[in-house]
Amino acid sequence: MSIRHLMAVIRKEISHIIRDRYTLFLVLFSPTLLLVLMAYALSVDLKNIPIAVLDHDRSQLSGQFVGSITAGDDLDLFTFAEDLDEVEYLLESGDIKAAVIIAPDFSTKIRAGEGVPLQIIIDGTEPESGGFAVDQIGLRAEEFVTEKVFGGGQLGVQAQTIELVVLPWFNPSLKSRNDLIPGLLSIVLGLPAMLVALTISHEREHGTLEQLLATPVSRWEILLGKMTPYLIVGMANVVMIPILAIVWFGVPFNGSFGQFFILSAIFMFSILGMGLVVGVFMRTQSAALALSFLLIFFPGFFLTGIFFPIVSMPEIMRMESLAMPGTHYGIITRGVFLTGVGIEVLWPYVIMLFGLGVMFSFVAGLFFKKKLD
Amino acid sequence: MLRRVRALTVKEFIHLKNDWWLPAFMLFGGVLELLLVGWATSRPITNLPMMVMDLDHSPASRELIDKLNNSETFEVGSYVRDFDEIEHALIHGSISAGIVIPSGFGRNLVHQDQNTRVIAYINGAESIPARVSVSTLTGLIREWNGEIFLERFQVSEEVQADITPRLRIWFNQELSEAFYTVPAELGLMLEFTVLLFAALAFSREKELGTLEQLLVMPYSSIEIIIGKAIPVVIIGFVDFCLMLTMTHYVFDVPIRGSLLMLLTIAFGYLLVELGKGMVISVISKTQHQAFLLVLLVGMGDFMFTGYAAPVEAMPEVVQFFAKFIPAQHWLFILRGIMLKGSGLDVLWPSLAALAAIGAVILFFSLRFVRRSLE
Repeated sequence: MSIRHLMAVIRKEISHIIRDRYTLFLVLFSPTLLLVLMAYALSVDLKNIPIAVLDHDRSQLSGQFVGSITAGDDLDLFTFAEDLDEVEYLLESGDIKAAVIIAPDFSTKIRAGEGVPLQIIIDGTEPESGGFAVDQIGLRAEEFVTEKVFGGGQLGVQAQTIELVVLPWFNPSLKSRNDLIPGLLSIVLGLPAMLVALTISHEREHGTLEQLLATPVSRWEILLGKMTPYLIVGMANVVMIPILAIVWFGVPFNGSFGQFFILSAIFMFSILGMGLVVGVFMRTQSAALALSFLLIFFPGFFLTGIFFPIVSMPEIMRMESLAMPGTHYGIITRGVFLTGVGIEVLWPYVIMLFGLGVMFSFVAGLFFKKKLD
Repeated sequence: MLRRVRALTVKEFIHLKNDWWLPAFMLFGGVLELLLVGWATSRPITNLPMMVMDLDHSPASRELIDKLNNSETFEVGSYVRDFDEIEHALIHGSISAGIVIPSGFGRNLVHQDQNTRVIAYINGAESIPARVSVSTLTGLIREWNGEIFLERFQVSEEVQADITPRLRIWFNQELSEAFYTVPAELGLMLEFTVLLFAALAFSREKELGTLEQLLVMPYSSIEIIIGKAIPVVIIGFVDFCLMLTMTHYVFDVPIRGSLLMLLTIAFGYLLVELGKGMVISVISKTQHQAFLLVLLVGMGDFMFTGYAAPVEAMPEVVQFFAKFIPAQHWLFILRGIMLKGSGLDVLWPSLAALAAIGAVILFFSLRFVRRSLE
C-alpha cells in the first residue's frame, strides 16, 4: 500500500464531495441536522395531557377534586363533558387522552368515609399518555381520600408506611434528552456509512470502476481511499454534535473529550466498514440505498437499545443487536456523556467495535475483488 | 397520449426489472422491516437487571424482594453485601437499578414508630429503562402502602374496593403495545418508501445523463411525469396492502372501521408523498443528494407525527406547524380507522385538512416539476 496512491484516491473522492456547495453542505451537515430534528422530535417528556371531566356530582367537593387533578403541569382540563356521548366523541377525535367520571354520590360517599366513586377512561391506543394520566389521577385521588376520608394530616402522619427514596444517578432529572442525544449519535453517524455504500456502487453504475482498476491502485487502497473522506465528515460531526448538545440542549458531558474523539473514530471505522460491504455487494446506487436503509438505518433505530432495552428483546434479536456497531457505540456515548467513564470501563465495547470494523473491511475487500473478476 | 404514457411506463418497469433490488426493497423490505421492528418493539419492557443489598434479612425484606422478582419488569440478578458493588455495577451500566434495604426495615414496619425506608439507586444514563424502573417501584410500594394503611384502619373490603378509582380502557383493552406502535410504523413505512422511490425517479436519469434523451423525445412533460409516477403508485400501494395484511394477521391489530375508506385515503396520501418526492427528485442533481434530502424531509415529518412523542407535549409553535404536515393527519386517520373504528363524523376535520394540504402540495409540485423539465 503506497501513501501516494491512497492520497490520489482520497483527493478524487473529496473532489466529488466539494464539487458543488449543495452536496458539500448536505454531506457535511446532514448528520448534525438530523440529530437536531430527532432531538426535538423524540425527547419530549410527558406533560399537559388533555383530559375531560364528566362531573355527575357537581358539588363543592367534586370541584375541589377536579382542581387538585389539574393543578399541576401534568394534566390539562380540556373541557367539562355534558354526557358520556361527548366523552366518547372527544376520545375518538383524539382531543383528550383520558376522561374522569365522577359519580353522583361522590361527595356523600367521601363524607361518610365510604370511598371515592370515580371512574377513569383512557384511550388505549396511546398507552403512554393514557398510563401517565391514570398514574397522575390515581395519585391525586389517593391524596384526596387520605385527606377527606381519613381526616387529614394527623392520622396520616401516625400511619407510618414505606418511603421509597429514588436516587437517579448520572442524570438526576431523568430528562430523556440527556441520554437520547448521545444515543442518537450512533444513528446519525451512520449517514456517512450509507454515503460510502453509494459512492462505491456509483462507480459501478457509471462504469468508472474499470477505469479505476486499470490504474496501479490496489483494491485496498481504493476502499481505504473511499472511506477516508467520510471518516473526516464523520469526525467533523463528532466535534460539532457534542458542542451543540452541551451549548444548545444543555446535555452534561462528564467524560474526557479526547477519549470520546478516539472512541468515535473507532466506531466510524466499523460503521464505514458496514457501508463498504453494502456498496461492494450492490450494483446500482438505488439498490445500495435500499439495502443500507435495511441494514444500517432502521436497525440503528430499533435494535441498538436506544429506545428499547436490549435485555427485553427476544433472544435472536439480542444476538443481532450485538452485530450492530451502534449497540456498542450507544453504550460508549452514554458512558462518556453521562456516567463520565472512559476506556477503563468501556474497553469491552471498544474491542467489539474494532473487531466488527476489521471483519467488515475484510469481507468488503475480499468480495470487492471477486465481484470484479 | 395513452399509448405514449404506456410506452413510458413499460420503460420504467424494464428499468425496475434490471435493477430488481429497488422494487424488491419497496415491496418486501417494508414488510420485513415492519415484521422485525414490530416483533422487537411491541412488547413491554421487562428483565431489567437489578441488584439488591439486603441489610435486614427479615421476612419483610424477603417479601419485598419477592415482589420485585414477581414484577416481571425486574430480574434480580445478584444479592450483594457491599455498596461498592452497586456503585461499580451502576458505573459499568450493568444494572438498571440497585435496591438497598436498610437494617430495621422489618422491625420498623411492625412497630410503626419510625420511617421505613427503601432506597433505589437508578441508572439514569438510560432514561427509558430508568423511568420504567421508577414507575414500577413507585407503583409497587404504593400498592403495599395501601395494604398496610387499610389494615391499620380496619377498613372493610367494600370500601377498600371503592377507594381506588375504577379504570376502563377503550379501544385497546389489553393495552397491547403493538396497537400503538405497529400502525404508526406502517404509516411511516409507506411515507418513506414512496418518498424515496419518487425521489430517485428523475435524479437517477439526470445523473446518468439519460434525462436529456427522454426530453428530446416527442413526449410532453406531463406524460413523462405520469409515466414515472405509475410504477411508484402501483408498487407503493401493493406494498401498503401487504404491510396492512401483516399488521392485521401477524400482530392482531384490528381494522375496526371501513377498509375501503382506509385504502382510498392511503391511495390519496400516497399521491401527496409522490408529489413531494418528485420535487426532491428534480431539485437534486445526483442520487446522493436526493437520498439525503429524503432523509431530512422524512425525518422532519416523522418528528410531528406524534409517533415517538405526543404532539400535545411539544411547544405551541411546533404544534401549530404540525397541522401542516400531511403525515400527521394521515397517521391520525390511520389509527382512527384501524383502532377506534372511527368514521367520517369524527375524522372529517383531519380528512379535510389532509385533502386541502395534499391538493396544494400536489398542484405546486406538479407545476414545479413540469417547469423544471421544460
